[in-house]
Amino acid sequence: MEPSHASRTLRDIVAVLVVAIFMFPILWWGLNSIKPYSAIFDKDGPVYLDFEPTLDNYRVTMMGVSRVELAIQDGGGTYGAGGASSYDSRQTILDSIIVSVGSTIISVFLATLAAYALSRMAMRGKQHFIFWVLSQRFMPPIAIVIPLLFMFRDMGLRDTHFGLILAHVLINLPLAVLLLKSFFDDVPKDVDEAAMIDGATRWQSFRRVVLPMVRGGVAATAVLCFIFSWTEFMLSLYLTTSIRTLPVKITTFVTSTGTEWGFITALGTTAILPAFVFILLVQRHLVRGLTLGSLKE
Amino acid sequence: MASVTISDVSKSFGTVEVIHGLSLDIPDGKFVVLLGPSGCGKSTLLRMIAGLETATKGDIAIADTVVNTVHPKDRNIAMVFQNYALYAHMTVFDNMAFSMDLRGTPKAEMKEKVDWAASILNLTDYLDRYPRQLSGGQRQRVAMGRAIVRDPAVFLFDEPLSNLDAKLRVQMRTEIKELHQKLKTTTVYVTHDQIEAMTMADHIVIMRDGVIEQEGRPLDIYDGPDNLFVAGFIGSPGMNMLNGTVERMDGTPIVRMTDEIALPLPENAGAKDGQAVVYGIRPEHLEPRPDTGTLAATTQVVEPTGPENHVYASLGGVEVCAITRDRIEFKPEAPVRLTPDLERVHLFDADTGMVIRHG
Ligand SMILES: Nc1ncnc2c1ncn2[C@@H]1O[C@H](COP(=O)(O)OP(=O)(O)OP(=O)(O)O)[C@@H](O)[C@H]1O
Ligand SMILES: [Mg+2]
Repeated sequence: MEPSHASRTLRDIVAVLVVAIFMFPILWWGLNSIKPYSAIFDKDGPVYLDFEPTLDNYRVTMMGVSRVELAIQDGGGTYGAGGASSYDSRQTILDSIIVSVGSTIISVFLATLAAYALSRMAMRGKQHFIFWVLSQRFMPPIAIVIPLLFMFRDMGLRDTHFGLILAHVLINLPLAVLLLKSFFDDVPKDVDEAAMIDGATRWQSFRRVVLPMVRGGVAATAVLCFIFSWTEFMLSLYLTTSIRTLPVKITTFVTSTGTEWGFITALGTTAILPAFVFILLVQRHLVRGLTLGSLKE
Repeated sequence: MASVTISDVSKSFGTVEVIHGLSLDIPDGKFVVLLGPSGCGKSTLLRMIAGLETATKGDIAIADTVVNTVHPKDRNIAMVFQNYALYAHMTVFDNMAFSMDLRGTPKAEMKEKVDWAASILNLTDYLDRYPRQLSGGQRQRVAMGRAIVRDPAVFLFDEPLSNLDAKLRVQMRTEIKELHQKLKTTTVYVTHDQIEAMTMADHIVIMRDGVIEQEGRPLDIYDGPDNLFVAGFIGSPGMNMLNGTVERMDGTPIVRMTDEIALPLPENAGAKDGQAVVYGIRPEHLEPRPDTGTLAATTQVVEPTGPENHVYASLGGVEVCAITRDRIEFKPEAPVRLTPDLERVHLFDADTGMVIRHG
């Protein structure tokens, strides 16, 4: 039965409300990033739209203007409370992109091969192995971060992009493997066999038949790995000092003399963008049911 | 083209043996159907021919070459799977061209071959589509197209029609048969549908529990089943089976079913007096009449199919089916008389289930 007009309207209103509740913090975040300092902290209560928009916060985080310069332009004194720490975040964004993209590529590459093998090849004790893989994810990262720190130091991996990439791969791999395995499992074995009879070697059937059919799964896995790496805080904090990823960098905006909400929100808003672009790039592969039509369902 | 020879092949999965020392000769160019109930090992046998399973024991030869250790891709066979197993991310054209592409066939030749297959299979208008955009029957034809472009030595079909609706199944049945008559490629076709087997096969192999129960030309098997299993499996409605003991009545042999019912036998019946037997008679060899005939029974259900009347009757408490082409009105729950065609009576030993041939 078609829902009546009234109930449909009600449903729409509820939907809009729910979306609004979830969107508000993000909106507020973005809004704060373009407020002048005085509008972020107003003694008369929150300022919603009654302020003069400014890109000052972005000029500091994204263009390398120092906050002292800003304060001078502003007539001195009023601009902020923080000390003289560096708010220029251009290198941070670059570091974050290198680490996230790098760890995503390596994770997805390794996970795809592992998942294919786990899905298609007979192996003694496979169930135990799968459980072991999953159990790696049960382990809280805090438990391994100190040993990892020592190992990385001895291997010269501490404070390198590659080291952090490796650490993120380590955390991402178990879930990525299991997720992809479930996608491979969805592709019927008959399809491999048909390819084999058509004259394909195992590699050809993987490369040209099975892998394209799990494209959606690979994309989904890539998104998950990327988001994890993009937002990961603890490993990045311990394993690097000069390389700063976004989550770590943002915490440095909380200083002994005050919290730079303007810069935090500006950098936070900027940080959403690359993630957004990445997801946009892979989302056209995120179609479900790619195996549709391979079988008579 | 090639013959296929299976010599004393066994197959075990773990400790369970599912094919037991089976031997079979498939001559070049023949259409052979493997028929049997679910789980009897038809697919397993077919997959061993394809090289998707390895035989635990015995040899499989294609074109007189033992292929036990040959990779499927080097066996020059083509297979159509029950669920088609199409490449969902490729167009119909690419699905069919894939095998040639792997072999590095020149583009022009590839296109020529695919166009040829598409025209045979009525797929010319669909070459740019993806499998998900096709109907079940069209997908089935793509799966066949993928097989025929290869020009293989042997075609293997694993229940290719079981997912189609009844009408399409009949149509595809004819198309596959025509295709075989055109290409004359050795074909092994698996099904559990006896009508499919009867209509398509040059040669039927009936399997049960990993062994061959009987093989032969379809009508030879229909007319002369070797045992009760084959007799019951082939034919629809199935053969009537009546239990009794061989006796003599006024000097002629009969099968005593109950005190009142004596089933007539031909003079040359091969059974010994006193032997417990199963009396088998196909419905079309049991003539129903309202008034005259050998055996008295009571009708239960009457099914006019158009060309025939199917009369289900109770004979001594056993339900039997009798068929006549005459337009006679049978009333349900009324007396009816049934006359078996003596020449067409099958006798089976009740203990072994094996046929007792007439002398
Ligand atoms: N990979 C396997 N592992 C273990 N047992 C198997 C395997 N494949 C088949 N079997 C067993 O082998 C027997 C024969 O199976 P097969 O698939 O050949 O039957 P079938 O005749 O094709 O039946 P159907 O008509 O249902 O397809 C069955 O008892 C089945 O359980
Ligand atoms: Mg089967």
